[in-house]
Amino acid sequence: MSRTTRVLTVDDSASMRALLNHALSTNGFEVSQADDGVSALEWLAVNEVDVVITDINMPRLDGFGLIEQVRGGTRHRDRPILVLTTESSDEKKARARAAGATGWIVKPFDTDKLVAAVRRVAH
Amino acid sequence: MSPEEIQQIFFAECEESLAAAESGLAACQAGTQDADTVNAVFRAVHSIKGGAGAFGYVALQAYTHTFETLLSDVREGLVAIESKLVDLLLRALDTLSDHVEAAREGGDAPADAALISEMEASMAANAGGASEAVEQAPAEPEVSEPASYDSDAESSSDYELDLDALLDDLTAGFDPAPAKAAEAAPEKRWKVHLRPHSGAMRNGSEPLLMVREIASLGGECVHCDISQVPPLDAFDPAQGYLGWTFSMPEAASEDSVREIFDFIGDDCALAFGDDAEIPEVIIVAAAPKPVPAPVAPVPVSEPKAATPQASAPVAAAPQPAPSPVQEPPADAAAKAAPGAPPAPPAGGQSIRIDLFKLDRLIDLVGELVIAQAMLVQRLGANGITANEELSLLETLTRDIQESAMSIRAQPISSVFSRVPRILRELASSTGKHVKLDVIGETTELDKTVIERLGEPLTHLIRNAVDHGIESAEDRIAAGKAPEGTLTLSAEHRSGRILISIADDGAGINRERVLAKAVEKGIVSADAQLTAEEIDNLIFAPGFSTAQTVSNISGRGVGMDVVRQNVKDLGGRITIDSTPGKGTTFILTLPLTLAISDGMIVNVGDQTLVVPLASVVESLRPGDGEVQGLGSNRNMLNVRGRFIPIVSLRSALGASSGALTPDEGVLIVVDTESTGQAALLVDEIQDQRQFVIKSLATNFRAVDGVAGATILGDGRVALIVDVDGLVSNAAPGQERQAA
Repeated sequence: MSRTTRVLTVDDSASMRALLNHALSTNGFEVSQADDGVSALEWLAVNEVDVVITDINMPRLDGFGLIEQVRGGTRHRDRPILVLTTESSDEKKARARAAGATGWIVKPFDTDKLVAAVRRVAH
Repeated sequence: MSPEEIQQIFFAECEESLAAAESGLAACQAGTQDADTVNAVFRAVHSIKGGAGAFGYVALQAYTHTFETLLSDVREGLVAIESKLVDLLLRALDTLSDHVEAAREGGDAPADAALISEMEASMAANAGGASEAVEQAPAEPEVSEPASYDSDAESSSDYELDLDALLDDLTAGFDPAPAKAAEAAPEKRWKVHLRPHSGAMRNGSEPLLMVREIASLGGECVHCDISQVPPLDAFDPAQGYLGWTFSMPEAASEDSVREIFDFIGDDCALAFGDDAEIPEVIIVAAAPKPVPAPVAPVPVSEPKAATPQASAPVAAAPQPAPSPVQEPPADAAAKAAPGAPPAPPAGGQSIRIDLFKLDRLIDLVGELVIAQAMLVQRLGANGITANEELSLLETLTRDIQESAMSIRAQPISSVFSRVPRILRELASSTGKHVKLDVIGETTELDKTVIERLGEPLTHLIRNAVDHGIESAEDRIAAGKAPEGTLTLSAEHRSGRILISIADDGAGINRERVLAKAVEKGIVSADAQLTAEEIDNLIFAPGFSTAQTVSNISGRGVGMDVVRQNVKDLGGRITIDSTPGKGTTFILTLPLTLAISDGMIVNVGDQTLVVPLASVVESLRPGDGEVQGLGSNRNMLNVRGRFIPIVSLRSALGASSGALTPDEGVLIVVDTESTGQAALLVDEIQDQRQFVIKSLATNFRAVDGVAGATILGDGRVALIVDVDGLVSNAAPGQERQAA
């Protein structure tokens, strides 16, 4: 069996991060957390990751801004990034996709769907 | 972390979000209506909604959904910000606060139907685009459940170096055997054709994973179209040259296949049905290559623009698939969407720490300060003073202390931000509209102080509006503006914080206060009281000036409770009232509870600390100011009022020290239970800050002693429990009041 899939969760809400952390780590993922886009970039600068899950609305640097920076960089350019969205409308999906997201997780999520989404994109 | 703990975090966040929304809306009301402000309010409500959904607070989620949608419309400029709207948003926020409370306490959700329809009406009236928001039920289940995620998906995580599996995937199409087997099977199978194109590999997507997922649903590859694979020298790994046809078992639904491709949408052309064909290949120049795009004259950075063509063969699939492939309203919207909205200004990053750890740090810093002072004293005794290293150590120690204190510090705005709501509620119940002025809301003070400040502050504000500010008619008659003004201010002054609550009302009606106090037996009818003393009567237990007990400030708690609350915080409250002009309550509070101010006094060979919060004044009695009462009691005449003199020597059983007032100094102190008293001590040594150590924890509880502290010279000094000492020493009628 290969190594554990490493997930970075980015959300300014500590409770949402805790929920993600709980759901993912109980399913065997290795979870790190960042509380907004800026701290996510700082973390990514010195760490490796397999999947990034990010909220969209955050202070300092929002989710789309984070994706733009990651895609514009070199190191994590091809990393799958899932966005947390409260709506599953086609418009929102298209927007997330256009912004460079690999996929999305609709909030509120249930653990199965979250894990499925992460596995679907984890290289 | 348990789910309960996560919920606790959520509710703490709700409080922060509510305060942020409140201050944002207050800014809107004051005229600051820029994008950042509106966005901050939106984000606050959005964040509550997210958590509400995650924790299953359906009512809260449903309510925040409407609220958020309205805010979203405001943010998008669909709904104009005008005072009526801000008013609606503020009321919506009040109800949101009630919703959060209900969710936390497990109580009934507040009635919000009227407010929701009002918000919806506001969206409909302003935009006409509100219908989408209304029909989108918040608790609506989202994308359909994935069929299954079993061991196959699990194993996909190790494919990274699994070349065999990779080859199997690629060569499956070259082997006609499985296809025949599938067609020969009696089971009714159906076909899906797919061709991921270049876009499917954008954004970190990996089509191979999707192909594998199809296989995990029971799909078998019956055909792999390799006709488009170019010669090796023209091969671009970012392009999708391959197309597949899978034979799916009947049990696998079309939806479950679509679900797999949900993320990449139209970047992978799908066609369903036996007669459909693998969609045509679309080659788009990869971004860095200077090759002209063969398909469409679009900017190379927008490969997505090629997708409309991709959808054509899908839509034209002759076999009537259960439902045509959904085309997202895609490109226009995608292009219109800005890549990234400007990041709002830094909202202050934070880290959550267990309060216990923080208190431990603060305690240790307190010890450090003492140790440093001891060192200075010890070295001084050996003739080592004015030493450079020593003064550096002193500066550093002080800096560390200030930094440690500031960790616990929070801006007082978290308390002040609740005031607008209180005023709105008061406005609707009393009809008195009051304008709020806030000064110094960024002033910081200890978190514990802040938490315990809310109640007394709320009471003082209710009191100011209810009793202080006159009705609009009375105000006009008095030549004032019909709308009263309440001014809240906070400022640091010499190591303490001053909070004032000022109204421009009628001022304290001293005649009525005095009459009431006499009637209640608080003072005697012939007492000669100064204006200040009369004002202070409103703090007496059981005093209420309202002629009818209103439901606003007359809630069973009087101003005496307010004073007690403030005193518990180591603070004091004073009144400054001018008839016709208004009343100001001034709260003087310590910056932190960990360190207090005290008067260091000597009694015989003992050094004691009297908490400054209790001290009113200190004096040496003049001739005739002390009157004997019985054999061994003395009374002090303070401006016409007699208060008992308590000798600390006899109260604490010290072996030496002043026994009669002319031998020492009197410290007039305020006590809750027995009113004022004068403590007799030998001399007052100093006034300084001290760290309280519990005697009960380290030794045992001792009557008359509140705790201990370590002095600069390393000696332990006991802190006098003023209340306990005075009531023990005065066993008369005062004792009954205790």
